[in-house]
Amino acid sequence: MDIRVLRPSDIPHVQLANITNLPENYFCKYYLYHAMSWPQLSYVAVDVSRPPKTPYDPPKIVGYVLAKMEEDPSDGVQHGHITSLSVMRTHRRLGLAEKLMRQSQRAMAETFNAHYVSLHVRMSNLAALHLYRETLGFTVEKVESKYYADGEDAYSMRIELADLKEQLLDEQEAYEDEGEAVGDEGTEEERKEREEKREKRKAERKMRVRVGRNKGVMDLVEKNEVAAA
Amino acid sequence: MPQPLPAKEATLFRSLVKYYEGKLYKKGLKAAEQILKKHPNHGDTEAMKALILNSLNQGDEAFALCKEALRHDMKSHVCWHVYGLLWRSVKNYPEAIKSYKMALRLEPTSLSILRDLALLQCQVRDYEGYIESRRKMMQDRPQLRQNWTALAVAYHLAGNLAEAENVLNTYEETLKQPPPKSDLEHSEATLYKNTIIAESGDLVRALEHLDGIINNSLDRSAALELKGQYLLQLGRNDQATALYRVLLDRNSEYRAYFDGLEKALGLDRSNTADIEKLTKLYQAHASNNKRNDASRRIPLDFLTGEAFKTAADDYLRRMLNKGVPSTFPNIKSLYQDPEKKAVIEELVLGYVSDKQTNGSAEGESNSQVALLNSDRFEQSVLYFLAQHYNYVQSRDLAKAMDYIDRLLEMDPKSVDYNQTKARILKHAGDIQKASETMNHARELDVRDRYINTKCAKYQLRNNENENALETMSKFTRNEAVGGPLGDLHDMQCMWYLLEDGEAFLRQQKYGLALKRFTTIADIFEIWYEDQFDFHSFSLRKGQIRAYIDMVRWEDHLRDHPFYTRAATQAIDLYLQLADNPQLSSADQTGLDKLDPTERKKAEKKAKKEREKAEKAEADRKAAAAAKATAKGDDGETKKEDPDPNGEQLLQTKEPLEVALKFLRPMLELSPLIIEAQNAGFEVYIRRNKHLLALKCLLSARDIDPENPKLHEQSVRFRQAVTKPSEPLSSQASQVIQESFTAPSADADLEAYNNDFLKKHAQSASHLQSGYNVRYILDNSSKAQNEEDLQKTLDLSDITIQEAQAGLALLDQWKSEQKAKDDYRAKAAGRWSQATVFKN
Repeated sequence: MDIRVLRPSDIPHVQLANITNLPENYFCKYYLYHAMSWPQLSYVAVDVSRPPKTPYDPPKIVGYVLAKMEEDPSDGVQHGHITSLSVMRTHRRLGLAEKLMRQSQRAMAETFNAHYVSLHVRMSNLAALHLYRETLGFTVEKVESKYYADGEDAYSMRIELADLKEQLLDEQEAYEDEGEAVGDEGTEEERKEREEKREKRKAERKMRVRVGRNKGVMDLVEKNEVAAA
Repeated sequence: MPQPLPAKEATLFRSLVKYYEGKLYKKGLKAAEQILKKHPNHGDTEAMKALILNSLNQGDEAFALCKEALRHDMKSHVCWHVYGLLWRSVKNYPEAIKSYKMALRLEPTSLSILRDLALLQCQVRDYEGYIESRRKMMQDRPQLRQNWTALAVAYHLAGNLAEAENVLNTYEETLKQPPPKSDLEHSEATLYKNTIIAESGDLVRALEHLDGIINNSLDRSAALELKGQYLLQLGRNDQATALYRVLLDRNSEYRAYFDGLEKALGLDRSNTADIEKLTKLYQAHASNNKRNDASRRIPLDFLTGEAFKTAADDYLRRMLNKGVPSTFPNIKSLYQDPEKKAVIEELVLGYVSDKQTNGSAEGESNSQVALLNSDRFEQSVLYFLAQHYNYVQSRDLAKAMDYIDRLLEMDPKSVDYNQTKARILKHAGDIQKASETMNHARELDVRDRYINTKCAKYQLRNNENENALETMSKFTRNEAVGGPLGDLHDMQCMWYLLEDGEAFLRQQKYGLALKRFTTIADIFEIWYEDQFDFHSFSLRKGQIRAYIDMVRWEDHLRDHPFYTRAATQAIDLYLQLADNPQLSSADQTGLDKLDPTERKKAEKKAKKEREKAEKAEADRKAAAAAKATAKGDDGETKKEDPDPNGEQLLQTKEPLEVALKFLRPMLELSPLIIEAQNAGFEVYIRRNKHLLALKCLLSARDIDPENPKLHEQSVRFRQAVTKPSEPLSSQASQVIQESFTAPSADADLEAYNNDFLKKHAQSASHLQSGYNVRYILDNSSKAQNEEDLQKTLDLSDITIQEAQAGLALLDQWKSEQKAKDDYRAKAAGRWSQATVFKN
């Protein structure tokens, strides 16, 4: 089972997996809206071991996570949201849902600078609750009464991404340092320039981390937005 | 030139436009009326009113009024713009483009007209026109980055990579300082440019450029993936190795990354010397990552012999101990290799007997695990075997049933086990019992939609359309317009609509079958239409690479198997209608059996009834038209479907023209599907398009020269060109003479057919084709054909589906009931459980 980012051509089979498994369904354009707005965030689990039947075989999607960034966050904090997550009954116990979620969360932090991820889950869905709370570390924010069309309540859950983001920064720096070490050395001038850049980057990062830790996530966001403006 | 209005009305007109834009249609209409009271011939006002009427679902009135407006004011760009919008709303894009262009000629500086024109040009893939429109828009607002990006996209889609890159460069040069790293639009634009450079084939430059932007790319996965591809293709294997290790650290469940790493390391699976290194590579990954599946599963693909056996043993034990229900689906692709199939079967059977002799799996350390999880392990093993013996490559349905029954004894309430039992029954041909069993599985967990879906599918396979819809309705939004079926339409539930149509087809409810197949084609139309808004939306969002992916996907949207399945069956039905127009009267099947006078009477009666029904239908429609739209309990309105049962589809006077509509996208987009070429031949030969029919024949021959349908069609084509109903043009004759050689022009067709029969003496479908050809060549061979057809039921490899196709052939030959009954009885002897052969 491959885990990879969703492509537009996957949509018919993501739609199929969704309407096969879940009561909340969407037409194609809604999937497109996700894929065109935040193409980095949605992932699919694909059964790649099936021998192809025709030259036009669509990918066999056995699980997916459809995710987005909150367009107008009411709390003013950039954050991601899980629109829909599902794995075929025949492909449970492979850890696919967790793997899908982790890829999506990483992309939310990396590409969109998300500070947390939110989602809703049916209160009766114990398996999903277990995944979110025990495996992934989500916490229950509140109960949303009658959230679902059939009248069931939902837990509104979220997970902060601060730790993940720090880990990503470490990874990227390790990559960049290594990349430069093995890369072409170039002229003395270029080397110096790189050196300076690296120093500057480290300084920036240190500052960011400090601000984040001392003043909390909210301040961090405002700072960044001012800087970006 | 718009007609001028006095100040008061001019103000009113401005608010009319605002009301329309704000969707305040009632207020808009009122304002329009007010103006028209004093200036009844004011074209612009009429046009705006038409636009509002159109938004209120009164399309016909809108068109009429807009034409009136144009009559009053031919030189108004507003009227032409509105005319274009009306055409666009009915999806007549060529007319819409014409109207927009007229409007633009009258008002060359209008950005809104230009924008509407540009979007349509992109939608219809008029890239030259799109480039022109986008250039004008860019020149009008060069300070907006998205206008430059849009122009580059236009060039890119048109295939002009150099100019696309050039446009992006020109904009970049205007940037005084690099945008901050957090600028997502910039990050995406630079990655977009990088893909354009790579597409031009200059990978050295692409890599250089990527190295310059990669540390600021916010889409890290994509940037790293691109870099990996460039490095590999440039043969920079050391760097590629490091890079694919980084990618695997990020996601170790993606085969493309492992493939990249293998290549970078210069390892080749077909080279025995490399197998050991490969094994070590994957072992290293597996030991670093306890939960990783790929590094454990992939080696099973390239290992052989003892090494395979050991690895398969480890893998299977691991999965079965965990109780992973998809263990079988996950390894079944290995069964293409008979040796591996045998090894796996032996291993898993061994787990059963181990369990029986000493209550544990083999080996000391494993025995502890097995004891702890012995129940789970045992059930997993039995479940694996049930699926193994149910799988087409290793089928033994009696054994499969035995294993599943043992499991059901242990856990009668298991949804999975009951579901698998239903599948086994289906393969045995007992679709009735399969449906019942699946329904039982559903009742064990009524809150699980997956099993609900399976249940509906099995009900449809058993022609229980109503039960299936009832089942589906437990999870659909039943307050939608049209109830559960309406919701399934809205949610584009293709699998259901297809299976529903196929079930109607089996029951000879041709109208409903056509209705469903047409709906599938309509949904593809909607999917194509769906991209429209993204031509502008994606530029605002700045996610250009994703947008390009989407456009390219939309270009071959209809190569999807759902389309092919619906289209081939719809075409088949339309061909039958073309050959036999009586098919459209509902009780066709009964008519066949009547003698001529009774038949005439019955036909008369049927005609009367049909007319009566048509009149009732017309009355009903008139009533429906009064309200024009239907309102669901959820308050949403939808246009009333004037032909819910497909009767109008069935009454078509031009079945072949409709068939062509289904056919064209298949021949264009899925030319390698032999059924598409077979269908193409049938349509074209009936339209006397000999060369097009020949093209389909030749394409089919390229795919599979021994295809049974191709054999029949080739003989028929030879007959058709030997005695054409209308003389062929000399050009056509020449082409046919040159490229149509099998059977040759002077061939004895009977002998040719006998050779085919001899060559394929063990294949039911080929023999069926040969007997059918014999019948076509000489009707008097019918008795012989019927006799031979029955003998195919003794072939060792014949499938239920093939046997069923034989039964259909008897229908086609209009065989006596006795011949059919004999055939059916013999088939029932071979497939005792099969519902289709029971009478």
